[in-house]
Amino acid sequence: MKVIKIDKKKWAEGLNKLRAAYQLIGPVKKDTYHDFQVLDKDQLPDFDFLNTRMSPKSIAFPQSEVMLQYSLDEAKEDHHIMKEVQKDASPRAVFGIRPCDAKALMLVKLNFDTSDYKDPYWIQAYEASTLIGMACDNPSSTCFCTSTGCGPYNEEGLDVLMVDIGDHYLAKIISKKGEELLEKAGWKTSADDPSLIEKKKSQSEAKITSAVETKNLKDKTILDLYEAPFWEDISFSCLNCGTCTYVCPTCWCFDIQDEAHGKKGVRMRNWDSCMFPLFTLHTTGHNPRETKVHRVRQRFMHKLKYFMDKYDKGIMCVGCGRCIRLCPVNIDIRTVCDKMNNFKASC
Amino acid sequence: MLEYIDKIKEISTRLLTEKKVDIIIGFRKGTLPMSNEPCFAKNAEDIKSFVWDSNCGINLANYLPNRKEKIGIIAKGCDSRNIVTHIIENKIKRDQLVIIGVPCKGMIDRKKISDMFEKEITEVTEKQGKITVKGNGVEKTIEKSKVLQENCAICIHRNPVIYDELAAEKVEEQKNVDRYEDVRKVEAMTPEDKWKYFDNLLENCIRCYACRNACPLCYCPTCFVDEAKPQWVGKSQDPTDTRTFHFLRAFHCAGRCTDCGACVRACPMGINVRAFTKKLEKDCFELFNWEAGLSMDERPPLDTFKPTDPDEFIK
Amino acid sequence: MGIEPGRIQFSWISSAESTKFVQVVNEVTKTIKALGPNKNFVKRPVAETVSKVA
Repeated sequence: MKVIKIDKKKWAEGLNKLRAAYQLIGPVKKDTYHDFQVLDKDQLPDFDFLNTRMSPKSIAFPQSEVMLQYSLDEAKEDHHIMKEVQKDASPRAVFGIRPCDAKALMLVKLNFDTSDYKDPYWIQAYEASTLIGMACDNPSSTCFCTSTGCGPYNEEGLDVLMVDIGDHYLAKIISKKGEELLEKAGWKTSADDPSLIEKKKSQSEAKITSAVETKNLKDKTILDLYEAPFWEDISFSCLNCGTCTYVCPTCWCFDIQDEAHGKKGVRMRNWDSCMFPLFTLHTTGHNPRETKVHRVRQRFMHKLKYFMDKYDKGIMCVGCGRCIRLCPVNIDIRTVCDKMNNFKASC
Repeated sequence: MLEYIDKIKEISTRLLTEKKVDIIIGFRKGTLPMSNEPCFAKNAEDIKSFVWDSNCGINLANYLPNRKEKIGIIAKGCDSRNIVTHIIENKIKRDQLVIIGVPCKGMIDRKKISDMFEKEITEVTEKQGKITVKGNGVEKTIEKSKVLQENCAICIHRNPVIYDELAAEKVEEQKNVDRYEDVRKVEAMTPEDKWKYFDNLLENCIRCYACRNACPLCYCPTCFVDEAKPQWVGKSQDPTDTRTFHFLRAFHCAGRCTDCGACVRACPMGINVRAFTKKLEKDCFELFNWEAGLSMDERPPLDTFKPTDPDEFIK
Repeated sequence: MGIEPGRIQFSWISSAESTKFVQVVNEVTKTIKALGPNKNFVKRPVAETVSKVA
């Protein structure tokens, strides 16, 4: 694959060229953390971060998204008809995505882009985006991507992988989309020493000290894990807030709602969370996941067992560590994963 | 406060072996610095993992409602006040509980400390009122008093108000504390500025409800935001809905809030959730001379009427 | 929380106090009219408010 050298002095200039063809999105420092946002004119993405606080899954799957609109005004010909909302499908370039988050988009794709069902909203936004990753050289102590089938230099899901080499970046072209973007920015110089990337990759991988063990999960039976005795202990402290699911780059659940305003209304979807009792409440009043033990078990079983059994693509976790860092009561998916992996049914 | 743990373990082990209680609710060491995890112990073996330090900011009273067994619970000043509130509100029975009181010297604010460092913090230890923070080649010792949770810094009820056992000698209560400096600042704003102030405060809210779920007061079987028939509040990121949630929740806590700070500690987005509840806490104190959870014999101001109630707002 | 003084008013009026009722209603209407329509706490159509990217 071709590797391009981008002199940092040419960085802002290239980005400015791109602004004509793309909407630029990138990590921006806010107060004490970083989050992705649409870059203002002249604004540069800031790469001085471990990872953004919220994941970039919202690029294709915003927390609240209007899907359809309708009018209840009977004077209008098309009243009571759900109509599609025109969306901005113009190209956008997303800078500074960490490899873990890019891989996460690929896992989310398994849900929104299948042979049976294609989610037009997600696919449209995803296809409009060119994803320029930023390799991770200083992983945090809660990063365990190397044991989830990912890694600090993983290329899956990215169009370009950028590596910071001090006074310049190396940009590895991964897809056609990525190649086009680099051309439009006028970054054309081939790198003299592309092997630097491999070298830095192994250095960075060596810095990841945290890991989960997943190799036994596949062979466990669902019921054994489901009935394992540790769930009460794991779920005890859980507040059943939605933090872990909302900050997770791979959680894809949503709830569809209609909201009317006078005679106009919209049908929208909002992130939902398996941690909330309302998530599974039936109209009869029955709730199949009535207690928090049920709900906590569901989250971990989905991520670490059901997903693996259904798709055979490893676990539904890329090891970004957000849920660990932001959980108000320190429930740690690494501990839970190890418990599940090492569990031996008593009979 | 580190020295409390031996006594806590001793009491806990005794209560379990003498079968005075079925479980004990306490803390175990978390996997990250500055985050202990609430846990329960059912036997002497489990007790071994108990810890006590300045990272026990979660309010354990939150884990009591609707439990049926006999419970031993470790309680700081604020936890004990919320236990009193639970008992008054019939969420738990006094004779179900054995309260292990812990005189508290304040919990540290993990966000404040993380924000002081550019790099990731990997280890935090404490010794005699000093906190040592380590991370990626950096090491720094800070006075604990400088990094307390804001509610702890102005706390005037550090000792448990209700207990069966005490883990240590009572500590001296803080005196001459100005508890409401922040509220007065907001009170002095114009309506427009107040509106902006709360708008800014909520800008990052993701509606995860961690604040509500960490709050011992929020035990409604169905919260108004989760009500579906009818649905009172929209579920989107609409600022009006987010605002409605926070203000209504605050009003629902009026006269019950102990300013334990659990909501702030729980918020993954670092929102100062106390800014909503604190004005009401101040009003209850100034209008009714009421502080929640101090007495088992007095009803809270919002479910009683007294002829002496100030009612200047009624024309 | 940002609601102008005067927009919310409380009064205790007995069913026998018809004149007080009239007087209070008139006063309230006058104050509220002077304040104009409430801009806060009015939910705008959702389509306008939730289009944040990330």
